[in-house]
Amino acid sequence: MSILANKDTRVVIQGGAAGVNAARRMAEFCYLIKRPLTVEAFVYPPDAGKTNEVPYGSGLIAIPIYKTIAEATKNHPAINTSLVYIGADRAMKGGMEALDDPNIKVVSMITEGVPEKDAKLLGAHARKLGKVFNGPSSIGIISAGACRLGVIGGAFDNLVLSKLYREGSFGVITKSGGLSNEIIWICSQFADGITTAIGIGGDAYPGTDYVSYLEMFENDPQTKAVVIVGEMGGDLEERAAEWYGAKKRRVKLIGVVSGFCQESLPKGMKFGHAGAKEGMKGEGSARSKSDALKKSGAIVPATFGALGPAIKEAYQELLKSGQVKEPVEPAVLPRLPKSVEEAMKADEVMVAPLIRTTISDDRGDEPCYVGYPASELINKGYEIPHVIGLLWDKRLISKQDAEIIKRIMMLSADHGPCVSGAYGTILAACAGIGLSQSVAAGLIMIGPRFGGAVTDAGRFFKYAVDNKMSVDEFLTYMKMNHGPVPGIGHRVKSLRNPDKRVKELVGYVKSLNIKTPCLDFALAVEQVTAVKKDNLILNVDGTMAAVLVDIGFPVDSLNGFFILSRTIGLIGHWVDQKRQDSRLIRLFDYLVNYAAPKRREVPPLK
Amino acid sequence: MAKVLEGPGMGLMKKWGIHVPNYVVVTSVDELTKLGQANDWMKTSKLVAKAHEALGSRFKLGLVKVGLDLNGAIAATKEMIGRQVGSITVSQVIVSEMVPHKEEYYCAVKSTREGSEILVANCGGIEVESNWDRVKRLCLEVGQAPSAGQLEKLLKDAGFTGPLAKKMGDFAGKMFTCFDSEDAQYLEVNPVVTRESDGELVALDAVTLLDGDAKFRHPDWNFQFAAEFGRSYSKDEVEVMAVDSKIKGSVKFIEIPGGDTAMLPAGGGASVYYSDAVVARGGKLANYAEYSGDPPDWAVEVLTEKVCSLPGIKNIIVGGAIANFTDVKKTFGGIINGFRKAKGDGKLKGVKIWVRRGGPREKEGLDAMRALKDEGFDINVFDRNTPLTDIVDKALQK
Repeated sequence: MSILANKDTRVVIQGGAAGVNAARRMAEFCYLIKRPLTVEAFVYPPDAGKTNEVPYGSGLIAIPIYKTIAEATKNHPAINTSLVYIGADRAMKGGMEALDDPNIKVVSMITEGVPEKDAKLLGAHARKLGKVFNGPSSIGIISAGACRLGVIGGAFDNLVLSKLYREGSFGVITKSGGLSNEIIWICSQFADGITTAIGIGGDAYPGTDYVSYLEMFENDPQTKAVVIVGEMGGDLEERAAEWYGAKKRRVKLIGVVSGFCQESLPKGMKFGHAGAKEGMKGEGSARSKSDALKKSGAIVPATFGALGPAIKEAYQELLKSGQVKEPVEPAVLPRLPKSVEEAMKADEVMVAPLIRTTISDDRGDEPCYVGYPASELINKGYEIPHVIGLLWDKRLISKQDAEIIKRIMMLSADHGPCVSGAYGTILAACAGIGLSQSVAAGLIMIGPRFGGAVTDAGRFFKYAVDNKMSVDEFLTYMKMNHGPVPGIGHRVKSLRNPDKRVKELVGYVKSLNIKTPCLDFALAVEQVTAVKKDNLILNVDGTMAAVLVDIGFPVDSLNGFFILSRTIGLIGHWVDQKRQDSRLIRLFDYLVNYAAPKRREVPPLK
Repeated sequence: MAKVLEGPGMGLMKKWGIHVPNYVVVTSVDELTKLGQANDWMKTSKLVAKAHEALGSRFKLGLVKVGLDLNGAIAATKEMIGRQVGSITVSQVIVSEMVPHKEEYYCAVKSTREGSEILVANCGGIEVESNWDRVKRLCLEVGQAPSAGQLEKLLKDAGFTGPLAKKMGDFAGKMFTCFDSEDAQYLEVNPVVTRESDGELVALDAVTLLDGDAKFRHPDWNFQFAAEFGRSYSKDEVEVMAVDSKIKGSVKFIEIPGGDTAMLPAGGGASVYYSDAVVARGGKLANYAEYSGDPPDWAVEVLTEKVCSLPGIKNIIVGGAIANFTDVKKTFGGIINGFRKAKGDGKLKGVKIWVRRGGPREKEGLDAMRALKDEGFDINVFDRNTPLTDIVDKALQK
């Protein structure tokens, strides 16, 4: 047996993230004692209609979220308990809503910082209705082997260590959340464990006090002794002592009180829980409480450390008198499934990786590119081209190569609004489309006819150089197998109207006195093709391609230089249109050759 | 509980129709001089000047001057502003009119478990303190306001008769309305006096404690709460409070000058048991501290730095019960960072550190603490199998 929370307890949780976390802890306990999840519903208006996923064992249970308590209890008539995880400013309204529901008998409030008046009103309302209002600031309620309400009991391992999977003989009532767990642990080590442990909350006026719970424990035959952990301030402990001393009680009462340090502190200095405030004229002091408990016949160890042995002594007496028997521990307990991460850490499983990377890792405090921390690259003077070198070709390129890449990017960053890429971005921007989609619209244009010839040009020039072809052999090979030479030819530029960008790049690379076999070959090809037709010149794609192959970049990465550089321009066009607040554009009819059939009658549908 | 100084306290009473003497709160002599020109009562009435700070025994300290004229009040203000009392610098002075009166009475409203209690006595001032049996009480359930009949009976019990009983009943009724509407926890007026000029009851001196947790529904609480222990908060205390107000969970820090045992325990409940254990062992606390509710590691780190900066400490008690949901590894991570910083700054020389803790990821957290030994810390680490406060016994063993 137990009090407040038992095998029939079914729960609605009022609140958001903190409530979901509590549900997860409660599910761990349900899994440990091999019972279905006690949480049946959440009430959280912002997410009403959705579900919260709660892990149970290795599976997930979807728990519905409702807008009101009434909806929750209508759909889940077994619900009889509510846990309140709502913010302090709305907690009273939520608590009242739960108390007013005819199905709900117990409301436990976890919220901290609830105004005193609100807590009193909730407590009074519950008493009027004959219900239990526990808290505020309660860590929860747990009945060993039966039911857990809230996070009380801690992590799964602690539930097992504290033997919460089966009933003991000790009831526990504390204000402090942390100490509730400590006492549960002590009861499991020095005695046979607990029946029910209740965190009543550390506020000045808990909704339900020690006496009400002592009365319940007195009427629970399984509970043989009750441990209370008190603090200075208020008169809850005095009332408990009064109750205990009033007549012969079946349960033993063991109590400790904190706050003796108050006697040697500067006057007026108070600390601990909100409720730990000494009253006038010494009432509510640790000493007066401790004395009252002793006088009532309770066992009062001198210090917290002496609590364990005192509990042990009480337990031995209970054993001797035959009131309790040594508990039988179950042979096997369920173990909480480990997450994949935990299991891997313990070398228990091996997982075949889904993807493999050879360039980048951000699992530490900053990203590393091919092993080099980004901050160190910055501080040692490396620049964007070096990052490109690392991520695209896994090597730290030279200062000189970096300068070439920088120039290539500067030359190809934009080419006016009329080319396919920029026009695509502008069209999208004018339609009110966002930055990333508009830039993507421009990037989509990059292909065999626009900007996408760099890789192919590089591939074929390299093929020719690697195979020591002559220009004639190369042109024949291309004609036979592939068609026009990528990187040769321009829509508007020609021998008479040369491309300044090409001249600039070739001039710079040549000035460096480095070996440029591909570039030399490409220029030789131009000599032949430009004679045939004066716009068959080496274009900027072809020039970039040849230079990049010459400084060692892999052929497959070459289009990337154009894509990356041109993205700078595309972003510029989008921002430009946005700032001008450009309007939607459409083609004028006179720009379209309407070559479709003339208007005609639609035949009947067959 | 949050204490409110006289000025704002009287402001709240005035708001609910309770007569209070005319008063001004000033921060400089100039301000008072200008106010003196603007307000007739300051020229015609006798005045009282008091340091407007959270200080006990102001009379003894010479920080209350009575029977002054305006020039006298200006002189008193000049003398008080900027005076240093312990850690408090007087920055405000409240100047109020003296209310000539003969009889003094007592009225208070206090919070009780069931609701509230109205207290009245037909004597006031120091007299009521030595005649506490003359104080009569009316207990009220939460949500219940006193009826005219109840007040009448209370006043009769307390020995009030005739028109004065009626007036005092009104006064107590207004005190209750103020208490209830302002989420007060304690309101005390001692003395209540009959103003000779018009026969009205006036609140001469007020103690006001409000429920700080209810601040969210009182947008007009535009005043600061006063420290409750007769001194202002130190710089480090204010810094920890600022962190506390920003985070999930909490960190708390109060300095106790002259101590040598520093406290860095977890939990509002356990922290007091640790403090008790230190006192019981004959140790001297250097501070109170506490972190709870799974606070972020950086907040615990700030708290740790403050604890390590306490002067003259010999031991640091990093205690804690078995946590429910506070992540031991994460919060200990904050403490470890704080220790390292303090050591780097040349602190912690000859200081012994004592650790005991349980809870989520306790093994990892305790292992990380143990590893500090290799970095030259004098640290002793215990797990859940060592009873809660045994580390204090070990630390303070002679």
